[in-house]
Amino acid sequence: MATEIIMPKVDMVMETGTFVEWLRAEGEQVEKGQPLFVIMTDKSAIEIEAPASGILSQISARPDDVIPVTQTIGYILAPGEKAPDRTPQPAIAGYGSEAQPETLSQTATVTAAELAPIPSGELRGKVRATPVARRMAAQLRVDLAHVQGRGPRGRVHKADVLSAVEQPAPAATELPAVERTTSPLNLPAPVQALTGLAIPLPNARQKRIVPLAGPRKIIAERLAYSAAAAPHITLTASVDMTEATRLRSMTLKKLEEKTGYRVSFTAIIARVVTSALANHPFLNASLAGDQIIVWEDVHLGIAANVADYLVVPVIREAQSKDLEGIVIALGDLLERARAKKLTPAEMNGSTFTISNMGMYGIESFTAIINPPESAILAVGSIVDTFVKVEQTMLEKPLMKLTICADHRIVDGVAAANFLNEVKNKLENPYFLI
Amino acid sequence: MSENTKREITYLEAVREAMVQEMRRNPEVFLIGEDIGVYGGAFGVSKGMLEEFGPERVRETPISEEGIAGAAVGAALMGMRPIMEIMFMDFATLAMDQLVNQAAKMRFMLGGAVSVPMVCRAPAGSGTGAAAQHSQCLEAWFVHTPGIKVVSPSNAYDAKGLLISSIRDNNPVFFIEHKLLYRTKASVPEEVYAIPFGKAKVVREGSDLTLLSYSIMVPRALEAAAKLAEEGIQVEVVDLCSLKPLDTETIVQSVSKTGRVLIVHEAPVTGGFGGELAAVIAESEAFDYLDAPIRRLAGRNIPIPYNRTLERASVPQVEDIEKAARALAREGR
Repeated sequence: MATEIIMPKVDMVMETGTFVEWLRAEGEQVEKGQPLFVIMTDKSAIEIEAPASGILSQISARPDDVIPVTQTIGYILAPGEKAPDRTPQPAIAGYGSEAQPETLSQTATVTAAELAPIPSGELRGKVRATPVARRMAAQLRVDLAHVQGRGPRGRVHKADVLSAVEQPAPAATELPAVERTTSPLNLPAPVQALTGLAIPLPNARQKRIVPLAGPRKIIAERLAYSAAAAPHITLTASVDMTEATRLRSMTLKKLEEKTGYRVSFTAIIARVVTSALANHPFLNASLAGDQIIVWEDVHLGIAANVADYLVVPVIREAQSKDLEGIVIALGDLLERARAKKLTPAEMNGSTFTISNMGMYGIESFTAIINPPESAILAVGSIVDTFVKVEQTMLEKPLMKLTICADHRIVDGVAAANFLNEVKNKLENPYFLI
Repeated sequence: MSENTKREITYLEAVREAMVQEMRRNPEVFLIGEDIGVYGGAFGVSKGMLEEFGPERVRETPISEEGIAGAAVGAALMGMRPIMEIMFMDFATLAMDQLVNQAAKMRFMLGGAVSVPMVCRAPAGSGTGAAAQHSQCLEAWFVHTPGIKVVSPSNAYDAKGLLISSIRDNNPVFFIEHKLLYRTKASVPEEVYAIPFGKAKVVREGSDLTLLSYSIMVPRALEAAAKLAEEGIQVEVVDLCSLKPLDTETIVQSVSKTGRVLIVHEAPVTGGFGGELAAVIAESEAFDYLDAPIRRLAGRNIPIPYNRTLERASVPQVEDIEKAARALAREGR
């Protein structure tokens, strides 16, 4: 039997995916479970496995196509079998979904511009939903306009409402909740103002046009929002890494044997930062409307570069992990990030972020706060530097730490106190073992 | 359990056994119709009954359905319990005035002073190559007539129990048989038993969608459901058994559980009983549980063709039910 290959919905609020590449060629035999193609979601690149065994046929998705979820992009056929007829469903006038591309027509791929997120209610017209979906939406206070329906012409069914409850879509009135896979961030006017600026383009020859989609788009939106909405303050301190380096050498072999991962400076810094955050609550907090939520959990985001994109895998409840636990969690996340096996949920919901650019030879830098967090720690490289110690010049491994904080909820002294605690702990790190 | 419960007989034999057993225990019960005596009925339902009960109680008539119905109504008014047979349900048209304007109305127009305890039996349905005038399913006409009850059993066991209830009922009952079911067998107890009207049966439990049906479409629905189960689609099949009174409770319960409903009958879709079922569901509390539109799969809006291929294509077959149920079960999931 022919098995449809569809653009999967890997995240409950995902409406489209950007096709990256086929990992197998048309006409090739594929086995169920083998990696078949790669897509970009708003969060990351993900490898999708073959839904069945057979011959890969009738592939229609091409790199950079932006494709609505559930749309057929190919078939897996038995030998000698023909693909089913694929008759595009004409759009039906009068239905609310007409503003959106017809998800049932498998030949249509659309540009990012056509698929720009549609504001709830207004453009979509009436929501198509079954009676039970409407009843449950009313009970569970789900706005059907935010729910993507899997039924014909986007009709919302019970299952869609339930999915929406489990993974709610952004809503301005909602408080951020770290367990959710979607960001509670509601992009307000500043971003729209920034993205909507009519600045004339240079009169130059174009090489190529890359759609602003997937992770690039999310990065653009979020960081523009953060830069515009959060007044950043930036404080830098030098940390003597002598003892931290010694500690790392001492534990390196033992921990590598035990965990299978090398202890990185990032892991040591992560452990120290987590321990310091306990004493500086507003550095592990979020501003939501007129409330400041101070988080009990430290969900520690670690900025990383994977396949030319910034990803921020999250170490959950870092406060309950010792150095070994951090090493394991971080090692596992980075390993899977490189293999593109991270789920969107694993890259969401951090409460504080560390960005280490030391390995790129950067001595110090400032970072943009990852919203809705209140601060981000920018870590530079360790540089052997002569410092004057009691009338003599000594060579010491120094590292510059820069804390960038949202001044709306973190004052300069609070940021300084936090940074000093991190510095002191790194300079006297033996409490870690 | 006695050996009897394991005894298998055909639908046709079950109908005969119900009549014979009731005639043995009640001298008021008699059979009237065309070719029911020496010939044993067009399908052989009354074979042997003339020999046992004689021409007084197995009364052959001229070819006049209005005459048969008129005689039955009159006898019922005078205290007898006639079973009238119409050779093909299509010929009920000729008895319409007696059934609709007389049998169904008398009790009400005379303030309950009389009752009309009669049964009108008739085989319905296509599939025998008997063409447009001998293949119809006309249940909707009688369901639409207040004062007549309508039952339509799908198997031999129900046929016997429901026919006994029909004979014992003090009001007119239209008892619809199906030509293709006559040869189907089921385990039927030899003893006399009555199945109450207004009770639907969940003949297969499922969670993904409810399939409402009756008569020949029940075994077809079960066959389709068994195939779909192999794909992981769990269809709940409800055999309505009696169309009027209708067991709305079982319907509402099942549809509320599954959230999806496919109505299947042989009669043409337009103006068919499926429309009534759809309305009953839409007006009930099951509406709030619907997770897909109510769907009907029924006969095409055409006279039944004589050509066997076209005849088959004009009413739902197992594969049609399978396809419709699969599509509905998958919608939005």
